[in-house]
Amino acid sequence: MGDGRVGGGTNRPAWLQQYELVGKIGEGTYGLVFLARLKQSHPHAAAGVGRRGSPIAIKKFKQSKEGDGVSPTAIREIMLLREINHENVVKLVNVHINHADMSLYLAFDYAEHDLYEIIRHHREKLNLPINPYTVKSLLWQLLNGLNYLHSNWIIHRDLKPSNILVMGEGEEHGIIKIADFGLARIYQAPLKPLSDNGVVVTIWYRAPELLLGAKHYTSAVDMWAVGCIFAELLTLKPLFQGVEAKATPNPFQLDQLDKIFKVLGHPTVEKWPTLANLPCWQNDQQHIQGHKYENTGLHNIVHLPQKSPAFDLLSKMLEYDPRKRITAAQALEHDALLPSQAGEKIVQYPVRPVDTTTDFEGTTSLQPTQAPSGNAAPGNQSVVPRPIPRQMQQPMVGMSRMGGTNMAAFGAAPQGGIAGMNPGNIPMQRGAGAQSHPHQLRRKADQGMGMQNPGYPTQQKRRF
Amino acid sequence: MAANFWTSSHCKQLLDQEDVDKVPQADSDRGITPEEFRLVKIHMSFHIWRLAQQVKVRQRVIATAVTYFRRVYTRKSMTEYDPRLVAPTCLYLASKVEESTVQARLLVFYIKKMCASDEKYRFEIKDILEMEMKLLEALDYYLVVYHPYHPLLQGIVNDTYKMDLILIHPPYMIALACIYIASVLKDKDITPWFEELRVDMNIVKNISMEILDFYDTYKIDPQRGLPEDKIAPVMNKLPSKA
Repeated sequence: MGDGRVGGGTNRPAWLQQYELVGKIGEGTYGLVFLARLKQSHPHAAAGVGRRGSPIAIKKFKQSKEGDGVSPTAIREIMLLREINHENVVKLVNVHINHADMSLYLAFDYAEHDLYEIIRHHREKLNLPINPYTVKSLLWQLLNGLNYLHSNWIIHRDLKPSNILVMGEGEEHGIIKIADFGLARIYQAPLKPLSDNGVVVTIWYRAPELLLGAKHYTSAVDMWAVGCIFAELLTLKPLFQGVEAKATPNPFQLDQLDKIFKVLGHPTVEKWPTLANLPCWQNDQQHIQGHKYENTGLHNIVHLPQKSPAFDLLSKMLEYDPRKRITAAQALEHDALLPSQAGEKIVQYPVRPVDTTTDFEGTTSLQPTQAPSGNAAPGNQSVVPRPIPRQMQQPMVGMSRMGGTNMAAFGAAPQGGIAGMNPGNIPMQRGAGAQSHPHQLRRKADQGMGMQNPGYPTQQKRRF
Repeated sequence: MAANFWTSSHCKQLLDQEDVDKVPQADSDRGITPEEFRLVKIHMSFHIWRLAQQVKVRQRVIATAVTYFRRVYTRKSMTEYDPRLVAPTCLYLASKVEESTVQARLLVFYIKKMCASDEKYRFEIKDILEMEMKLLEALDYYLVVYHPYHPLLQGIVNDTYKMDLILIHPPYMIALACIYIASVLKDKDITPWFEELRVDMNIVKNISMEILDFYDTYKIDPQRGLPEDKIAPVMNKLPSKA
């Protein structure tokens, strides 16, 4: 990994020289995220990664508050990502330290899309649902990555659409990458109750046991979030949009619980025996236990027949009792995820907006050399913002690396519905894989869903 | 990883004894012998232990800290990385990794209290934070460590961290050696139990002998650590960053 030495007279670390900065793509409480390209091939470059020109996302952690050192968020992320290796988990390619200003940089393989932007694009630009085959593929991959994490005793704790990345054009096109491990925990031998880390998981995707103050929660909290994301992929709207009560350190979130109860009905001690032990259930009797909702309207919201396998899977993910909630391993075996016929339609998603005026120090230059790409004029030939030339694209090939039995069934699905960038909508022939897998989505770029002139989503900072 | 030692970075990084014993060039240039190199590591392991008692962290955090400390000196010299500063910083980093963060200012406070008479131990918060980043680098950002702990064997297991065993053997083999020693001390024959495990008993016995040798050789006071007259001259050979 990086040597972190401070280079030449510019006071710029030597490692920085290996990247060509493209621009800023995101901002969070911890710091900034940049898009860069590798100038030289990495010595251990594998196919497609670490090659010259490879896009890299660089997450810069701000200098910590006085006296706190490296942020625990960064430590967790480094510690976990340095150990794990899975196709559906984001790949940490490098860590760099700038000793001069005590800042820390994590370099990841860059993913062009994420579920937040994909869902938004369908909702706001296309006005069309994501086709069921694509939903299935995305869900399967998400579960596949999560199953790997859970079988390694890692709870993600902050799953939400913006943390689920989807690879753009390239060898891993359409592959899901679970990202942002800043809250993830190993739960094998916790030294403190897990709840000591404070409240976790963005409120809309937060499991009911957390909202009710559970102290020792499990990997089931991630499965609840997957259920919420699954529903959102179907309807393009967050399933339970509660309003967060921010002022309180109390995990209890009445509005969020109310949103859940309205859809799923009121939980009962009969169906969820340990409910009685949850602090907030006991303490807030008149608030929570007072409300009674009985009509379960989930099927109406997601527009799925109650007897369909997809609805069955969704309701098992949104099971109140965390002990009964379906696990990632079980979900992968569920009938709803059996291979099916590929859909026909291909959607191209817009690339991530890049702010090319911001440098690694986060300083914004006054005279941008290029127009900010997020608002680039939508040409009728290309959906690619100027600063990122796409000439190095490789012809698409079948996903030969997808081996295992389950993967074979879903083999080509990943890149199927997510056919990404295709400047000028040039018809591209999928490689041998298209013929060899009956379930593989046929790529018919010229049938793209009216994406010739898609325009761009309004520029918005990604929420990390 | 957390569930599987065999796929962990810890497993992949296990070393041979010779690699662990090797005195870094800069240190041997200063006249540090392999034996003295070992003494410093024993001494500073005690130092970490005592500091940890003050700030009250769990056994596991200490074990991780000592492992970091020993790992650092398979790659860096004590001349360049002052063990007096590396030791508390390892505890600081381990406390974050094991999710029970200790404030750097608390460590600074207790170091001052414990080592008031020795100017070479005078550090500020800033020193620890700078060293934290250098440690992350020196550890190549591999932070997950496995330990051979079992509550019944805690005493013996703790003693193994006065040695480099954790850098050389998988934790389960160290644990088995501790079980073996305990069985011998208690005069219980558990040979059949070991036979069923199908592990290489030669390795288990070798590790056990190393631990017993260690007890014999150093005869360390479990409270005080190495006698002052033995360690002080060695520590004086190392330059101070304070």
